[in-house]
Amino acid sequence: MAITFQQVSFAYDAKNLWRHGALEDIDLKINEGEFVAIAGASGSGKSTLLQHLNGILMPTTGKVQVFDVIMSAGEKTPKLTELRRRVGLVFQFPEHQLFEDTVEKDLCFGPLNFGSSKVEAKEQASKALSMVGLDDSFLERNPFHLSGGQMRKVAIATVLAMDPDVIVLDEPTATLDPQSRAELAELLYRLRRDQGKTVIVVTHRMEEMLPYVDQWIVMQDGRKTFQGSAAELTREALKLEASGLALPSCISYWNQIATRFGLEMEEPCLTVEALAERLERVLQVHDTAEGGGG
Amino acid sequence: MEGTKLAYDLQQVSFAYEPEHPVLSDVTLSITSGSWVSLVGANGSGKSTLAKLLGGLLAVNAGKIIVEGTPLLRETASLIMPRIGMVFQNPDNQFIGATVEEDIAFGLEGQCLPRVEMVSRVQQYAEKLGIQHLLSKHPSELSGGQKQRVAVAAILAMEPAIIIFDEASSMLDEQARGELLHILRDMRSNGDYTMVSITHDAEEIMASDRVIVLRDGTVAADVDPDTLFSDDALLNSCRLIAPYHIRLIQELERRGIKVPPFPNADKEVEGTLWPLLFNK
Amino acid sequence: MRNKLLFGRSIDTGSWVHSVDPRAKLTGMVLYLIALLVVNSWVALGLATVFSLAYMVSTRIPLKYYAKAAKPLWVLMVFIFVVQSLSIKQGTVLWHIGSWELYSGGLSSGLIAALRMTLLVSFTAILTFTTTPGLLNQGLSGVLKPLRKVGISAERLTLMMGIALRFIPTILDETHKIMKAQAARGADMKELPWKEKGRLLVSLLVPVTVGAFRRAEELVLSMESRGYIVGAPRSEYHLLSWSKRDTGFILSYVMLVAIIVYLRFI
Repeated sequence: MAITFQQVSFAYDAKNLWRHGALEDIDLKINEGEFVAIAGASGSGKSTLLQHLNGILMPTTGKVQVFDVIMSAGEKTPKLTELRRRVGLVFQFPEHQLFEDTVEKDLCFGPLNFGSSKVEAKEQASKALSMVGLDDSFLERNPFHLSGGQMRKVAIATVLAMDPDVIVLDEPTATLDPQSRAELAELLYRLRRDQGKTVIVVTHRMEEMLPYVDQWIVMQDGRKTFQGSAAELTREALKLEASGLALPSCISYWNQIATRFGLEMEEPCLTVEALAERLERVLQVHDTAEGGGG
Repeated sequence: MEGTKLAYDLQQVSFAYEPEHPVLSDVTLSITSGSWVSLVGANGSGKSTLAKLLGGLLAVNAGKIIVEGTPLLRETASLIMPRIGMVFQNPDNQFIGATVEEDIAFGLEGQCLPRVEMVSRVQQYAEKLGIQHLLSKHPSELSGGQKQRVAVAAILAMEPAIIIFDEASSMLDEQARGELLHILRDMRSNGDYTMVSITHDAEEIMASDRVIVLRDGTVAADVDPDTLFSDDALLNSCRLIAPYHIRLIQELERRGIKVPPFPNADKEVEGTLWPLLFNK
Repeated sequence: MRNKLLFGRSIDTGSWVHSVDPRAKLTGMVLYLIALLVVNSWVALGLATVFSLAYMVSTRIPLKYYAKAAKPLWVLMVFIFVVQSLSIKQGTVLWHIGSWELYSGGLSSGLIAALRMTLLVSFTAILTFTTTPGLLNQGLSGVLKPLRKVGISAERLTLMMGIALRFIPTILDETHKIMKAQAARGADMKELPWKEKGRLLVSLLVPVTVGAFRRAEELVLSMESRGYIVGAPRSEYHLLSWSKRDTGFILSYVMLVAIIVYLRFI
């Protein structure tokens, strides 16, 4: 078990003024090597939850365990350096994460902080860059002169350069164009598949992550209201929508089709290819039945 | 063409920040009053620059922009600018006032409206956008979606004829994005506004009347949304992805299942896809 | 952690202090500043404290918010205390610290100086807590109006102040995010030695400045598209009207100054 939350609550300092983003009574388990997505409206506590994963925030009550590090309310803060290296956190806007005048320096910042030599850091930088699909020609570029999509990739690479076991991303696709978003989702999937990383991503556009995610977590008003697979999510769609979560159209399509044809017990087809294929089979059966009857 | 007025008439418009790197070259197009046009294109296609030119925030290097029959020039700007409102991408950076009320009033103060009129407009447009209960709030107490509503209210209160949305929904969560789209649809249906939206959002594009595709600073296509979304090459050039239902229809057709086009982008499959699949 | 956000932000409790004319509040603040500069005895400090507390309580804003407003400046307070107490050599010698001697008079005036600074910072928070920045700005342009006669435009000044007040919380918040992002990459401000802290603070400057410029640029565009032209005539949304209470408000400050000056020079 890589990550466990036990009855974790978190309240911001002056809580009567800023309730926004607090956490209440969260229980959570995430396994090593999983692709986990956290969905929910803004202010539902998604970002606050993420910041508990590497000790940027400490629980007000309850216990967070990440690998062998235990962060417990009211107890002394453990040494976080190793945890910070093993759990890489990519913030929402690359503008908040990049600050050096070349991509290479930005990539080396993390490794150097965690004790790599200059030579090692540069090696890690170049390796991380290739993991996000950018070549070494980017090393000398100024990060602030890159396009939105490239900047995101560099921001992710700055975290990958520390060779973390878990990579955590806060809305990595916000403000990108649809194709860049799809590319980024696929990139995260490849990191999980090829490098064995645990990937935890906060998103409010569920559709783009749906094909890749093993486990969904839904947050509402600081509480966890759902945890499970896409199939389970699809089955609970009505309930989740009723409580105010915006679900992607592929889920409502499947649910309507499933109800019409009695496919509720099947694994939901959430991509157009899968759904079209399933519909084709349904229609063939239907046609045959009709032909036989008439 | 009788009765159709033009909100915009662009004649061979060119623009460059630096002479050696033209951003827009020779753009000619017109936009009918009361219509809703989506402006799409990849990064660097010039769409944001075009939005700023349309909003009068930049001046053309060559060519002409005619707004409601009057050429947009330095001398006419003071007449034309009040006719145009803009809503930008970042909800935080366009919140000028320290409270919602002050923010809506900011543009009205500039129009030198008497106080009684300002108060009544603030009330009227706050009500229209459902933000009356937020009037005394500071921006840090609002969600992104609420701030964008305030931005729209602040623009509408100035009673412009043309409104430009420069990626106004791209920083919002799904829920808020849906709500903003609903507001845009409402504005379109009452026909009082000419709307130009720069967007990547498939649903928003589908809801508009017409799509202008920019590529490398020129108009690459000027089509209706259905045509855009059935043209893969065009979609790739502006890095868009068609909405789910269109991709589904395309995939079904690829498999030899004929599906007539959807009447709208509604989530309700029952009424549309269904009969088609059954009544064959 | 989020107490930084208190700066430049009003807290609406609907007390009578909230509805005092912003021009009266600004004038009152200037008088208060004068009074505090003159304070040099424990009696005067005590009087000023009672006066300040009375106003703070009438705002109905919990006192801890005022304390928080003063907190970020504690280093300055300590500095003032040390300099004052070591440089004044009156009374009896209490301590020898190396070649330095701490006198009882020095200790007393050092404490007074630091306390009066604390009082000043937390009390001026009344102004920002009870007045929305828009009103404050309008009050300021009202107070500065006489400057127009000597050819200085108050508008630019108040515009700048308005934008600063509006954006300081946002920029602080953003700085905070950037620090978190750096901590996530192994550079935690809390755990680093002092020398490294300095280096890290400098490296913060780049993204914070870039961010601030980007915000400013977008804000200007937004203001322009809402028809803002510097110096063009504008009507005012908030109507300021002077009442007897506002005169009374100022008089209370005049009395404070008078008594403190009396205590000092008689």
